Amino acid sequence: MAASADQVRQAMPFTTRYPELGTGPVDVRPMIDPELFEQERERIFGQAWLYVARAEELAEPGDYKLRRLDVANTSVIIVRDKSGEIHAFHNICTHRGNKLIPEQDAQSLGRAETHSFTCRFHAWTFNTDGTLRGVARQESFADLDKSCLGLKRIHCAEWEGFIFINLAEQPRQNLVDYLDGMAGHFAGYPYHEATLRFRYSAVLNCNWKVALYAFSEAYHVPTIHKGTFPSLAKLEHTEIKCFGPHSTSGIYVPPVPGLEPTPVTANLGGRLRTSERHRPHLELLPENINRDKRGDFQFEFPVFFPNFLLHLGAGNGYPGMAYFTHQFWPISVDSTLWEGTNFFRPPETVSERIAIAHINALHRNAWLEDTSTMEDTYQALASGVLEDMVLMDEELMIRNTHKHWHDYMGI
Amino acid sequence: MLPEQFSSLEPFAGVWAFPTELQRSQQRWVATAEEYREFYEAMLPLLDEVLVYLDQYQPGATPESVLPLYHLALAFAEAAPHNELYDCSNTVPNSFDAHRFVAAHGENLDR
Ligand code: FES
Ligand SMILES: [Fe+2]
Repeated sequence: MAASADQVRQAMPFTTRYPELGTGPVDVRPMIDPELFEQERERIFGQAWLYVARAEELAEPGDYKLRRLDVANTSVIIVRDKSGEIHAFHNICTHRGNKLIPEQDAQSLGRAETHSFTCRFHAWTFNTDGTLRGVARQESFADLDKSCLGLKRIHCAEWEGFIFINLAEQPRQNLVDYLDGMAGHFAGYPYHEATLRFRYSAVLNCNWKVALYAFSEAYHVPTIHKGTFPSLAKLEHTEIKCFGPHSTSGIYVPPVPGLEPTPVTANLGGRLRTSERHRPHLELLPENINRDKRGDFQFEFPVFFPNFLLHLGAGNGYPGMAYFTHQFWPISVDSTLWEGTNFFRPPETVSERIAIAHINALHRNAWLEDTSTMEDTYQALASGVLEDMVLMDEELMIRNTHKHWHDYMGI
Repeated sequence: MLPEQFSSLEPFAGVWAFPTELQRSQQRWVATAEEYREFYEAMLPLLDEVLVYLDQYQPGATPESVLPLYHLALAFAEAAPHNELYDCSNTVPNSFDAHRFVAAHGENLDR
């Protein structure tokens, strides 16, 4: 017997709220087709705003971050100039194209001591605002116009201390317009106070969207995380909202009667829960996050198109953890640099530091569970056997990303 | 050497008390179930006392002579999930290869 409209709404509250996203299966080809991957470079990553740094990473004038962007065959310097302004440049010397700063890793931090960068090939020197400061033996160049030879600028903007770049010649929208409703939804939390960062990375042999989609739903939690978080078996994934290509949602975990935290977690997590600095600060959450002020709120669970997740828990979900982020950086159709970072307020005592190490380790272990499926999923999808995937109601954020992926790609 | 009052933990310091997360992880990846059990049983009853001792110092200002105890406490904080959740296995069950998972924040956090 067919379900009544009411029954459908009850079982699929989010899918029915966004009829424009449809209910049908989504195609697999975008995740495995090398030609589509080549087009993504320009149509997705060449157009969208991309999160690349936190303002605290560039705390002082002269601080810079070097970020490898394989998807654009470039690396990017994000730097705070003498006056405090942040700029982004391609990491290429305008003389004969050497990398201005040698890359150490996918990302690294540094300090331009004299507010300048000197190319190690022939010693051209650039100010941190991008202007060309000095050329060795300048008189031996015919008609050298230094004002035309500054560093190649990339559009760059900051929102709530998150620094984004846009590789387009002329971005279609400014950052805040691009972020749509997300800009207000996440605004106002003191992200800048959580300066203790633990970053993990792994190169996963899978398409970036396989990794992104695995982190876009909580349907997997009772199965994948039964090892590290048995308490999450009854989790609620709810309040799913779409803002253009982005989407967000809330994770809540009603207490499970009889399930006590284990001794070390009770001890160390308890210290964070009861310290004024690290305790849950639900009162600091933006007003539309955990609107009903539920004590069992875990974290806000969003997707910022195309490759950034910002999980805001305010110390309530994982004890002491202010927020955590994920990014998925394509390297090739079948290879992705995943980066996950946990952000805490810095400890005031050594025991808090040790408690933070414990919570960080638990979360790292959960990520090892998350990343365990991705290569298997990709290898199986790459067979081409499955042409499309069916999605349940709480996989709506995947549906939204996928639809907007098609829009950006124009296919 | 650990402070006198923690001499019962001395045998564990040589095995677990490393200054970097990577070194401590390398120990977690090879420790036997027996080693996990013994470390946990020795350390848990003293955990509060160890933390009180370490809290004499400000974060980042632990004196050289106390660093082994600090690193032992960090190792315990990181190892305990194996006892409490993974049945003393040295891997997280059904997980991605931990060796390919890089602690990219580097090693400047552990003093
Ligand atoms: S390539 Fe940089 S100075 Fe020549
Ligand atoms: Fe997960």
